[in-house]
Amino acid sequence: MDPQSDCTLVTAVSCHDIFDLQTGQSDSSPLAKGTAFAFIKAVQSVNERLVKLSEKQTLLFEVILLGKDCEEQAKSKIFDSAKYYDLEIGKFCFCSKEKFERTLQENHVKLFLSSDRDDVHSALKAGVPAALLCQQADQQVQNQLKVLFSGDLIGLTEDSTEYLKDLGFNDVQIHNFKAAKGRIQEFAMLIGEMRRRFGCEDSPLHTILMTVWGSRDICATALKTLRAWGLDVDEAFCLAGAPCTPILTVLQPHILWDDGLHNLKET
Amino acid sequence: MSLDPVQVMKGQDPMALSPPPASNGDSKVSWDEKEGFCDSVGPKKPKSGPVRRARKVEGGIFFPKPENAVTIAVSSRVLFRTEKEQKVFEEKGVEEYLKYQVEHENEPFAPGPAFPFIKALESVNTRLRELYPESEELFDIVLVTYNHANVGVRLINTINHHNLFIERFCMTGGSSPIGYLKAWHTNLYLSADAEKVQEALSEGIAAATMFMPEKQIEVSETQLRVAFDGDAVLFSDESERIFKAHGLDKFFEHERENENTLLDHGPLKGFLETLGKLQKKFYAKGHRLDCPIRTYLVTARSAASSGIRALKTLRAWGLETDEALFLAGAPKGPMLEKIRPHIYFDDQMFHVEGAVEMGTIAAHVPYGIAQKYPHKKKSTNSAK
Repeated sequence: MDPQSDCTLVTAVSCHDIFDLQTGQSDSSPLAKGTAFAFIKAVQSVNERLVKLSEKQTLLFEVILLGKDCEEQAKSKIFDSAKYYDLEIGKFCFCSKEKFERTLQENHVKLFLSSDRDDVHSALKAGVPAALLCQQADQQVQNQLKVLFSGDLIGLTEDSTEYLKDLGFNDVQIHNFKAAKGRIQEFAMLIGEMRRRFGCEDSPLHTILMTVWGSRDICATALKTLRAWGLDVDEAFCLAGAPCTPILTVLQPHILWDDGLHNLKET
Repeated sequence: MSLDPVQVMKGQDPMALSPPPASNGDSKVSWDEKEGFCDSVGPKKPKSGPVRRARKVEGGIFFPKPENAVTIAVSSRVLFRTEKEQKVFEEKGVEEYLKYQVEHENEPFAPGPAFPFIKALESVNTRLRELYPESEELFDIVLVTYNHANVGVRLINTINHHNLFIERFCMTGGSSPIGYLKAWHTNLYLSADAEKVQEALSEGIAAATMFMPEKQIEVSETQLRVAFDGDAVLFSDESERIFKAHGLDKFFEHERENENTLLDHGPLKGFLETLGKLQKKFYAKGHRLDCPIRTYLVTARSAASSGIRALKTLRAWGLETDEALFLAGAPKGPMLEKIRPHIYFDDQMFHVEGAVEMGTIAAHVPYGIAQKYPHKKKSTNSAK
């Protein structure tokens, strides 16, 4: 593998998230902005700042657009709209639904983002790190790219799975969560390195740790684990079962990495 | 029966049950009860709607839902003593400060001014759980700090060291905590930062700035004692304004004329109300005499005259304090020293400082007209 590409944070986003392909468009006007728009713009400002710090910067985001089963007409609309909005898209990958996971793997995607949980799960099953792309409450572009990590996943250790069983997760799920922890590592390390290039204040990249179910000790383990991976998060929340939506609504993260842990409702 | 604190956000609808997903593939379940933040985009499946029940542990509920509990948000700087670290921050900047914190990570902080109050809340919780094991009407303590998450490990180590029951926290890394205070349905916010406290007050959240007493007098470990000033704390500052603008005589006249008009409510009225509701739970189980919560009104008003309006207002609100001390202008310090509250709320820094000097744990509520008149330490006490 090209040593340079090791540092590039290749992020794949579905065209259905970048643009709104549903609403009818007149032939001449560009496609409407989708869920991922704010994310891409935030990523671009991170890249800008990284390059400002060092022109020969290799640690950058690279955004790949993924189109599943797109018609030819749509493809050209997508190209044009991307140009219109000045989106820095490294590659346009159009593929069929069946070849979707393969395409992700072939492009050495370090993170696949989608607002569709089904897509996130199939990518994870195929071994591709994937996370949920979040809808911003207001579509205005934020100054910071906000990445949220799950403390329940990262703070998971061999001895700390009891509380997950109490919540109703079965052994298979718990096994999957443990595997998820491994997948997050590479991404977290890259984010950590990027984050370190900026100071405490005025950073275009903002990292958050949220522990929804785990105790404060799980949260402490997660903080130490992330630190060992080279990532010092900016914000940390421990909810002990309190609802996360109100907090998330204030936070407005772009990327939410939880691997389905929070699908569970208490019974 | 559920608490009904004066908060717009409380009282969310209960939700229906939903079993845990069989596999990781249940993609369209939302985070929470309604169109949640990260709710489904893409093919929708009918939602069965989840129910959130507080996590149950042996011996009662330990993690109540925020909307059912009395949420006390406390900042790390008042829960613990962090003067040394503050100094590093002010003198050397944030990066050095964080490095210092990490270096001293395994050294727990010493207790701060809010520590006895928080411990007392925990004892009340223990008694409440004994009597009402199914109830979520408990004190829920959340550590809200705008510290960077780097300090998190040291804070958690400290909480463990002191055996505090705090499992919920927000470390906002410099952003304003006000949004999170609302998300937590906060009933009371205690901080060392007057600006943040003022911001909270303007958003309708009861809040106060706490100060460390120089000498520490012992407070009860079995009974939570909360003392309140009257004007501009429980009541609005309307009468205070008359006094400041027109003097004592006008004040007396005004209060006499308006004896039967209720005073408007102040920022801590809701909190007193909440304490009252918890007290009634103890009375209902025969614990009136040994109730672990005791409230005090400590006012400069006079019992025979201006105090009447205050009492009538409280009564009309359906509120009462266990003791009402009308000082008619006498200094509050000695009285508070006798009471030994875990916290005393006053809007005037003059009184707060006087209390703190005598070892009382006092909290400043920066509300109302008194904030426009900087206090002079040696001024004579005013008789109201």
